[in-house]
Amino acid sequence: MTGLAALADTTTGPGTDILSAVAVVAPRGRDDAVARQLLAKDGIATVSAPTLTTLSDLIAQHVGAVLITEEALNSAGAQELAHVLTSQAAWSDVPFIVLANGTSRDRSERATQKIDTLSNAVLLSRPLHAEELIRAVRSALAARVRQHEARKQLEELQRRERQLFESEAKFQAIANSVDQMIWSTLPDGYHDYYNNRWYEFTGVPHGSTDGESWNGVFHPDDQARAWELWSHSLTTGEIYEIEYRLRHHSGDYRWVLGRAQPVLDRSGTILRWYGSCTDIHEIKVAQEQRQLMLGEMNHRVKNTLAMVNVMVSQTLRLADNLPDAQTALQSRIAMMAQAHDRLIAASWAEAQMPAVVDAALAPHRTGESRFIVDGPKVEVGSKQALAVTMALHELSTNAAKYGALSNNAGKVRIRWGVADDIFTFTWEETGGPPVDAPKRRGFGSRMIEQALASYFHGSVELSFKPKGLCFTLNAPLSGLL
Amino acid sequence: MHAKDTKRPAVLIVEDEPLLRMDAVDMIQDAGFKTYDAPSADAAIEIIGSHDDIGVLFTDIDMPGSMDGLKLAEYVRAGWPSVKILIASGVIGVGDEEMPEGSKFYAKPYATSLIIDGLRTLIAQDETNSSL
Repeated sequence: MTGLAALADTTTGPGTDILSAVAVVAPRGRDDAVARQLLAKDGIATVSAPTLTTLSDLIAQHVGAVLITEEALNSAGAQELAHVLTSQAAWSDVPFIVLANGTSRDRSERATQKIDTLSNAVLLSRPLHAEELIRAVRSALAARVRQHEARKQLEELQRRERQLFESEAKFQAIANSVDQMIWSTLPDGYHDYYNNRWYEFTGVPHGSTDGESWNGVFHPDDQARAWELWSHSLTTGEIYEIEYRLRHHSGDYRWVLGRAQPVLDRSGTILRWYGSCTDIHEIKVAQEQRQLMLGEMNHRVKNTLAMVNVMVSQTLRLADNLPDAQTALQSRIAMMAQAHDRLIAASWAEAQMPAVVDAALAPHRTGESRFIVDGPKVEVGSKQALAVTMALHELSTNAAKYGALSNNAGKVRIRWGVADDIFTFTWEETGGPPVDAPKRRGFGSRMIEQALASYFHGSVELSFKPKGLCFTLNAPLSGLL
Repeated sequence: MHAKDTKRPAVLIVEDEPLLRMDAVDMIQDAGFKTYDAPSADAAIEIIGSHDDIGVLFTDIDMPGSMDGLKLAEYVRAGWPSVKILIASGVIGVGDEEMPEGSKFYAKPYATSLIIDGLRTLIAQDETNSSL
């Protein structure tokens, strides 16, 4: 409750809040002063508007309410007032309290019209009743406060709409820039979103895989399995994960890893599923090739072990004693290991003469130029290369023990070549001690006469001439690879 | 009609790998059997068709040519039902239903003693039956 002394404070001072003030338009006589006094007594801020122009200004500044006499409505600036009223922001509707002269019976038509133009006005008769005036003003100001609240909410909604728009734009930018197919479904599994990557990969028209028609772009053999897994996830909320083949726009099917997880609300109900598809085709193909290779390797290892088995069996059945057996066996296994190293270097496919010969002779060379090696570059298959290596190992070992390499003067001449589609390979020993045909055929000679000939689909002659051992292999070109 | 020949039957060894074939021949000869050998099913069929002293087929599975070892075993069982069959292979997972009845399977690499035992067992069965 303010006293008269405080009147000055509640009128137009620098601190007056226009938004909650009442514009008083009562230019005649003491009306303005009386009204303002009355309102001030009740703590209501007021501001004088001697003309409609001033009033228009105040309305543009969103003054709280307007208290106006009927005759003031008719004064100059009425058009400006009308304009300012219609130009208000959507939320704003400034309330008018019109102080009337007499009753409607006495009012001129013109005056009535003027009042009618105000869409938001109440009429108070004069002389003023203090209580009526105060209540009317308070009511108007309260309504105005609600208008401001509505304005705030509206602006807040607009702000959120903008944020949503930006957020949506950000999401689209992210979802479409990642190198993944992304999709999303309703809780019941209805697919309603795919990012651009999905459409780029599959080449299907936009929207054509909505709902449940995604199943159709899966490989026929994967459709049932995928459907079952997806249904299970929908029911249980468990993460969906599956490798399957998806039809690429080229028409080929490519292996893809599909994954999805649900987003839950606070009570644990599924709101949406978000999923992705990753192209794993290259990886899958590499995996399959690796499996094949492992199978290949396993096969080769088994074969090698079978060969070692033969070495063991053959060495032991002919050995005179265990130490000899050990030496012979270990040198044969070492020879095989070296032969394998070369074959791996040639990717298990082919090996070349003279490389095969040089490698086989290497452990037997003494630096005394006892070997004379001569022949052109010839490709031989891996089995043939191994057989030649074995044969040379046996021949060299034998020569070192009993033949041309067992004395100081002996030499070994190794030659090979191709003539008239026949491949010929010879080993000739000279200058060694006199040779006797052995009574018992050792593994070496048997291996050469039987196995080596067979590997080359050819024929072998092994003769123990007095001047030295001589070995010849003749094979058709077709037997080399 | 001959009286049942109680002489040991000869063994036909079929193996495309020359060294393995050579060793298998040695192994079976060392056990006192006469051997024939062939590098393929086709060669084997020729041999069994032209020699009537063969009583055992010892064959690998993986072989080049028109037939693999399993098909060869089937063929021999059909044409020469009294011939015993031993199959040795690096191939794993060969089921009983794929091999002729009464035949024995050995995984490679195999132990000589196992093969020879198997061989002797199969032949002993025959001798037991024939004495009934």
